[in-house]
Amino acid sequence: MSQDPQATEEYSKTAASPYKWEMVVDLDRCSGCEACVVACHAENNIRISGEEEAAEGRAINWIRIERYWEGDYPNVKAKFLPVMCQHCDDAPCEPVCPVYASYHTPEGLNAQVYNRCIGVRYCGNNCPYVARQFNWFDPHWDEPLAEQLNPDVSVRSGGVMEKCTFCVQRIRSGKEAAHKEGRRVRDGEITPACVQSCPTSALIFGDRNDPDSRVSHLKKSRRGFHLMESLGTHPAVTYLRRLSE
Amino acid sequence: MNLYRRTLLKILGLTAAGSSLPGCEREVHNLVPYLLPDDNIVPGVANWYTSTCQECEAGCGTIVRVMEGRAKKIEGNPKHPVNEGKLCARGQAALQGLYNPDRLQGPLRREGKRGQGQFRPITWEEGLAEWVEQLRTHAGKSAMITRPVSGTLASLLTTLMDSLSGRLVMYESTGEQTLRTANHLSFGTHDLPYYDLANADYLLSFGAPFLEHWLSPVSFGVAYGKFRQGRPLVRGRFIQVEPRLSLTASNADQWIPLRPGTEGLLAIGIGQVLLRDGLTELSSFHRTSFHQTFSAFSLEDISTKTEVSEEMITQLAHELTSANAPLILGGGPAAAQTNGTTTLILINALNVMIGAIGRRGGLQWMEPQISPVDLARPGLASELTLMDLAGEFEQGSRTLLHLYRADPLFTLPPSLKFERVFDHAQFIVSFSSFLDDSTSMADLILPDHDPLESWGDVVQQDTIPVPAWSVSQPVVRALYDTRPIGDVWLDAAHRLGEPLRERVPWNTLHDMLKSRWQTVLTKHDSPQSFETRWRETLQEGGLWPSNIPMRQTNTVIPSITYKPPEFLGNSSEYPLYCYPYPSLGLHDGRGANRPWLQELPDPLTTGMWGSWIELNPTTAKALGIHPGDRVRVTSGYGSIEASVMVFPGLHPDMIAIPMGQGHRAYGRYAKGRGVNPMVLLGPSFDGQSGSLATGGTRVRVERIKGGSRLPMLEESGKNPVIGRIQETGGL
Repeated sequence: MSQDPQATEEYSKTAASPYKWEMVVDLDRCSGCEACVVACHAENNIRISGEEEAAEGRAINWIRIERYWEGDYPNVKAKFLPVMCQHCDDAPCEPVCPVYASYHTPEGLNAQVYNRCIGVRYCGNNCPYVARQFNWFDPHWDEPLAEQLNPDVSVRSGGVMEKCTFCVQRIRSGKEAAHKEGRRVRDGEITPACVQSCPTSALIFGDRNDPDSRVSHLKKSRRGFHLMESLGTHPAVTYLRRLSE
Repeated sequence: MNLYRRTLLKILGLTAAGSSLPGCEREVHNLVPYLLPDDNIVPGVANWYTSTCQECEAGCGTIVRVMEGRAKKIEGNPKHPVNEGKLCARGQAALQGLYNPDRLQGPLRREGKRGQGQFRPITWEEGLAEWVEQLRTHAGKSAMITRPVSGTLASLLTTLMDSLSGRLVMYESTGEQTLRTANHLSFGTHDLPYYDLANADYLLSFGAPFLEHWLSPVSFGVAYGKFRQGRPLVRGRFIQVEPRLSLTASNADQWIPLRPGTEGLLAIGIGQVLLRDGLTELSSFHRTSFHQTFSAFSLEDISTKTEVSEEMITQLAHELTSANAPLILGGGPAAAQTNGTTTLILINALNVMIGAIGRRGGLQWMEPQISPVDLARPGLASELTLMDLAGEFEQGSRTLLHLYRADPLFTLPPSLKFERVFDHAQFIVSFSSFLDDSTSMADLILPDHDPLESWGDVVQQDTIPVPAWSVSQPVVRALYDTRPIGDVWLDAAHRLGEPLRERVPWNTLHDMLKSRWQTVLTKHDSPQSFETRWRETLQEGGLWPSNIPMRQTNTVIPSITYKPPEFLGNSSEYPLYCYPYPSLGLHDGRGANRPWLQELPDPLTTGMWGSWIELNPTTAKALGIHPGDRVRVTSGYGSIEASVMVFPGLHPDMIAIPMGQGHRAYGRYAKGRGVNPMVLLGPSFDGQSGSLATGGTRVRVERIKGGSRLPMLEESGKNPVIGRIQETGGL
């Protein structure tokens, strides 16, 4: 830890007010280009399912772009909605897990402990956002594709549930770097892979407990809403409505 | 097997040891390789190297995360002026080119008949000797078809082909030749302007797919974010006019469908209203010619032909003039017709009328700069140029063909009979990394390094606000027995002796690159040595001078006569227009060997791992076709079969098909998957630019037996939020 008294004081605040991670999705910026989807695959060792399994609905995407048609030709609109794990504060997936594989971290992440998971899929059933995906088989990479695998993220085997982690490995290393310098994580210092790649900057990530962070400001926007708000899941992902006349 | 903790640790130790050995060595020679570690390799610590993305021609700056000698992740270079730290799906997937299981691992010689696809591995010495022999035999008769290359490699290839009296053809199926020609005819310069979307407040786009693949999609993506939400009080308004609701059009505030090929007519309508209502001030140069051009049709006539109402045309004109910084773009389907160039010139004329030339939030050109590499590279070739090349092969004035990262047998319609080049070529050398449709026909394959293993540079001086001279450096050691194309050419040049050796004295492309950068980096009497400056440049990813003054542009738009689009096939036999569009992930097909891109759902249909035919719901109903039915699409030139996706955002008289599938080769992920819509297209060209009119062929659709299950994200139960949109108050 640094000897700088100011930094030490700043750091001591950390313990008192932990981080609370939040993502904001600005639908007025999102163009549906799917850069986030491939970025997520590359970062998180998401396996390639192949045509057959994809046709069975078993392709795994931690983030996906949903598309909604509205109206009929010629007054038709297509709208895009990026959906990832909403990291709900009252997550429906957590109480149903018989082995506590699905649990809530103090920083508001909805974590999945792969080596506890026994694959009963109750959590997937209970997730209204279909954010949780089951590994129906062991992953396979044709050699040498596996050379690309990120050593910071474990590869999930068959029979295990998986889902978006907000790139917890990046959060970890960001926090470690800050810790070494005896300070809090700066706003914008940690970016999950999807946020990092997004060309239009539609995705913003940060600490909800920091009143000056971009997410804290943006989530107060009048355009803000949560997916399926009425379910009371209190997601950590806030969407900003797309504007239209 | 009983696995004890100690055994497991032993196995893990061995695996770790194996993976840390340099290059592609797989055997475990040493249990403790980190006893004397490579200085740059610290286990568990990532190194980041700057490079330049070469998946398309935009030249985005990248940083590559490398751990233990393996490339793990590609991200945008935050300091790079093109992409400002962002990167698209295709750029991210470049890693699957490097680690592709179907990469060619060393030089190959054909066995058996040409096209049988049988090759035997040879040594580099054998390969080079044979190739140099062929260069001697076919002196003055060689040609090279390459994807557009930039920087040092471009100048090397230009110099060499020039010395060999060969012909260098840089071809890209989405090279926007129509736009380049139209802009040259409008503004008298070959440089494309910087379209300042970020500072515009109103955008009218005639089909330009700028959020998909047009010119520099990531740069446009960054600008689009700013255009919508980057300014506290201004939100840009965006209208897209095109017959198919593309990904870009889905983002528009309003999508206006029109009859295919009539975009130019609509531009005339808008211009007419601008002139009629006195909404534009024109220079004396344009006054007469514009009045002539824009009064050639009555508004009523235009409305009937375009299917856009008179009120809408008037409204668009008035919106353009009430905006502070309006901008008009044209491309995509508007450029893919026989009248593409005329249409785009008319759109340029509209930009002149709304005062967008040289304005903030409009079209800008910068003063040309002296760059590390001279820009004297040949312009991009159009399809008609390729036809001309084919003629030379037929006449026997060209006999030796070189291919580099170009797959004309796949990207060109068979109706152009480009295989005659391959039939007449006496010898074919390919430098490609994959056995694609064209490289399968080669006699000799001398595979190039992957871009992530090579030195290179990209010089970008148009479509961006400041020039970007970016460097690519090898981020990993070469995996296989491949050699960089630049080095191979230099080797051959030296073997051929004088005068070639004198013109390219360098041994490697790296030497050549450094010597060229030396002149620029030491130009400013900098106290630092070249080596220091060079290292800094590599760390930054390149050089981008700021404060470049804007260039004054003279608009030289001629008086234009609108020509209606022409279509091959009569409307009674072939009632539907056909529009093949580049797929978001696979592009023109080059992404088809990357599983991440194959499994990337198409954003509008959510289809993956295959091809489909898009039909308007009303048209499908009239033809008795249901979603998922298998259909045959027939034109006067060929037919394809695929399943139907009913697509609400499509002109009823049109079908659309994504490009990129239907490879006959190109590795396990691409081969034999889906259909190639180019099969349907006839030899229809935009005469002025020589570009293939990809929207210029008519087809008919009939239902056939059987159905096929195309994987779709939408049908996999993963669209759960649907039906609850009202609850959230809309998206």
